Amino acid sequence: MPGGNVNESARRVIDAGLHLLDRQIVDKDGRLAGKVDDLELTFPHGSMSDPPFVSAILSGPGALAPQIGGRLGKWIAAAESRLSDQPGPARISFGVVKRIENDIQLIVSRDDLDVTRLEDWVRDTIISKIPGARHAPQ
Amino acid sequence: MRLSELFGCEVLDSDGRWVGEVHDARMVRDGPEQGAFGPAYRMQGLIVGGGSWGSRLGYDRGEVKGPWPLKKLFQWLHGHAKFVDWAVVAGLQKGVIRVSVPADQLPSVPTLRQ
Repeated sequence: MPGGNVNESARRVIDAGLHLLDRQIVDKDGRLAGKVDDLELTFPHGSMSDPPFVSAILSGPGALAPQIGGRLGKWIAAAESRLSDQPGPARISFGVVKRIENDIQLIVSRDDLDVTRLEDWVRDTIISKIPGARHAPQ
Repeated sequence: MRLSELFGCEVLDSDGRWVGEVHDARMVRDGPEQGAFGPAYRMQGLIVGGGSWGSRLGYDRGEVKGPWPLKKLFQWLHGHAKFVDWAVVAGLQKGVIRVSVPADQLPSVPTLRQ
């Protein structure tokens, strides 16, 4: 299948773009928690002499902004940063990843993550102000 | 650093010759321990080649299943891709990666194995 098939959580060798990018993220309750839009790489001793390792998943428009580039990319990154106390895009530590299959399964709830900042802002700032928004669906 | 910062970077060999662009990053799971996940994925090296069209679909790498004409086409298109082990990466600056060996000493991309 295009995009590769990652069925083994313990798979030893992968191509990061092929096997991790664009994967769906699922929280501990089976709820969708975004997609893998980029990966954070960390150099263990702060220099390039030792190879970096994947330390976190980056998700959301802020993570995609550098790939969009130009003014639009900068605007998206700045707008999303304003929606959170945390600078930069939403970040999910790889330490909360339980399994990598066709999706990426976490051991935490999406409520404990920062991945829904745009969704939360739209709900609280726009949707909730529409007359009738507080009525339960009929 | 972000993974996306590496994609599309130009790679130059020890003589300053153009090798290709970064298409992907091969990772091996023997990095530092990371909570529930265990050993982290550590960078083993970069997959470098000419045009990147079709590379993200993975048809150019042996294990990905798909219609054989497409596989053959992409394997031919990416047949000259090189593997740049991280140990030979000498520098990274402004979208250019310099390696410490001549291009003809860079191996082909190893087949993905478990």
